[in-house]
Amino acid sequence: MGWQGIIDSSGILFTGFVNTLTLSIATIILGTALGLVVGVLRAARIPALRAPLRIYLEVFRGSPLLVQMLFIYFGAAYLGLRGVETFIAALVALTLYEGALISEIFRAGIEAVPRGQREAARSIGLSRFQIERYVILPQTFTIVLPPLVGQYIGLVKDTALATAIGYFELVREGQAIIDRIGMPIEVFVVIAAIYFVICYPMSLVARRLEKRALHA
Amino acid sequence: MTMIELKNVHKSFDDLEVLKGVDLAVEKGEVVIIIGASGSGKSTMLRVINNLEPIQGGEVWVKGIPIHDPKRADEVHQYVGMVFQQFNLFPHLTALANVTLALQKVKKIDAGEARRMGVAALKRVGLEDKAGAYPAELSGGQQQRVAIARALALEPDVMLFDEATSALDPELVGEVTGVMRQLAEEGMTMLVVTHEMGFARDVGDRVVFIDEGQIAEEGPPAILFTSPSNPRTKQFLYRVLHR
Repeated sequence: MGWQGIIDSSGILFTGFVNTLTLSIATIILGTALGLVVGVLRAARIPALRAPLRIYLEVFRGSPLLVQMLFIYFGAAYLGLRGVETFIAALVALTLYEGALISEIFRAGIEAVPRGQREAARSIGLSRFQIERYVILPQTFTIVLPPLVGQYIGLVKDTALATAIGYFELVREGQAIIDRIGMPIEVFVVIAAIYFVICYPMSLVARRLEKRALHA
Repeated sequence: MTMIELKNVHKSFDDLEVLKGVDLAVEKGEVVIIIGASGSGKSTMLRVINNLEPIQGGEVWVKGIPIHDPKRADEVHQYVGMVFQQFNLFPHLTALANVTLALQKVKKIDAGEARRMGVAALKRVGLEDKAGAYPAELSGGQQQRVAIARALALEPDVMLFDEATSALDPELVGEVTGVMRQLAEEGMTMLVVTHEMGFARDVGDRVVFIDEGQIAEEGPPAILFTSPSNPRTKQFLYRVLHR
């Protein structure tokens, strides 16, 4: 049978690839949005928000993503939210988890901008929101880019955990193929290669953006 | 007309009291030079006026507005411009964009008009040909002149200079003090914290010596520099003039 079996299964692998990619991109968008908001609010040290944001961060950073995913998937069923799709459950869990980690990247990036920038911006009359929008965040972007892309690459691989709640991403499709044709080593090598094909271009793009930012 | 008035201002950082009851009044058009040893509280005084530091006691009035009232504190930025030791230009924006940012976002002036005003402000500091340059492409002296233009573009009534030349190489100090001289001649009200005693003597209408968080002595430069009455002033001047 040899590799022919894997080639014959390429349609299934492609479905897994598309599902992994979809979940990754959706999580990157939502997780970054959540992380940005939480990071900015934490850096702003607003007294009323301090404790709740800290609790969110520590809970989701301090427990395994797999447990969160199972909790949300089965928790939704327990609450009577029947028929919550595996995609939605995986996306919610990933967004909350990655959002917590990304918020720390943004917070650190914001705090790395020298204090004098904020003071100069206040002195010319910018509002709190305008200071973040026009002065701090554009400078934060170049600082956070490398760790952010690192986080995204980790995130793509984290989507593999969605296999545990039955989302048909790459690993689950791979197991389906193995169930049919065997050859686990070969199948997992192909799957690992597909993850690499998703992640490596992200490294390249990050490197290019970083270079461009240095020239500006 | 009194532009700035400090009444018994107290400022502490945790347990350290930096301003211990400062009283000061600055009239329109006056150039007041503030001198003192490092850690004496002179920079803190400027920062208090510009609402960058909350105070623990006393009153700060700018153009009749109570800056010590948190509800009105931000109004100070409509009337007061500040220039910092480290320039604090926005590194991701060109010189012109540094100058026009607040014109567009705070004063809501449209892009074309803001651009015209920005170029005019850069012209006042002799840098209209550097409008498109990023801060990293400018010398320290040029960066500080852009920072002055950024403040001037908003047409402030008072300019605060916090050791504006201290971070510059010696040969670049002159171009910045030159712009400051020109401003003084045009009648700008200025508070200048500086170690440039030549500038202080030539341009200052009044020199204020701060020592350990209090105004120890003040007077016209001709008198304060030649015959100070306070022994602490004498000691300080001796140290800085005989380096």
